[in-house]
Amino acid sequence: MVKNGKLEKQLPLTEATYYILVALMQPQHGYAVMQDVERMSEGTVKLGPGTLYGALTNLEQSKMINKVGEEDRRKIYVITAFGQDVLDTQVDRLKVMIQSAARKHKIAGNKP
Amino acid sequence: MKQSITKFKWFWAWQDEKEEEWLAEMAAEGLHLQGFAFPTLYRFQKEQPAKIVYRLDYPGGKKKERDSYLQLFADAGWEHVGDMGGWVYFRRPIQPGAPTEIFSDVESKVQKYARVMLFLVILMPIWIAGRPSFDPESMTVFKNIVLALYTAFMLLWAFAFFKLGQRIKNLKDSAK
Repeated sequence: MVKNGKLEKQLPLTEATYYILVALMQPQHGYAVMQDVERMSEGTVKLGPGTLYGALTNLEQSKMINKVGEEDRRKIYVITAFGQDVLDTQVDRLKVMIQSAARKHKIAGNKP
Repeated sequence: MKQSITKFKWFWAWQDEKEEEWLAEMAAEGLHLQGFAFPTLYRFQKEQPAKIVYRLDYPGGKKKERDSYLQLFADAGWEHVGDMGGWVYFRRPIQPGAPTEIFSDVESKVQKYARVMLFLVILMPIWIAGRPSFDPESMTVFKNIVLALYTAFMLLWAFAFFKLGQRIKNLKDSAK
């Protein structure tokens, strides 16, 4: 339960943090994360470098990501087991959110 | 032959956006920031006028993190122009479709001002330790001046704290 409390403290993830964690399921450096997030979000989330740098620092401090290498002054990060737990919990909650809206649509007789 | 021009200008810590605007105005007149001769002394190079956006960050943090920090900004298309008093100066040409902000959400912008405030908090013990303790019975003109300066700095410190707090509050309100 202690671990669960630690996990709860990280939720809900902001849109930016959510996508950064998804991107870091593969190890990559900051700029690659920036591009990956823009692509995955279909252009809706464009991270500024100041925002991304701050988010990476915070995620590293809360042990959700780890630095695994360095390449030409670029730090490479990857998600930790704890970070993955947080992300999976967030995904479960998002599923509930989507389903609840879909169910209400059905009751209201709207087309899906 | 490129001409170099130095200008003196004072901005308070809570006036970073005003400073960004001023630098953009200079660029529109053909004066492009090169760096600083000294804090508050801006060195410009006279060239063609251009539409440039300037952005200031206050990253704090460790010196050894600096390389990867600047590299990330460079990768994202931001040129690092210089540093002054913990502030880092970036710029990029204004182009259609290109970003003009280094922060893409309110949270991270709030954190920037929170880092400036943290620096002010760190100064507090220095203020307290260095306060002048004069015997009121034997005040001289010099002691009075020292006391007046100290009080002025303390008030300014408190005012900076208040202004930065206000910036954070306004940012949070605008997000509601």
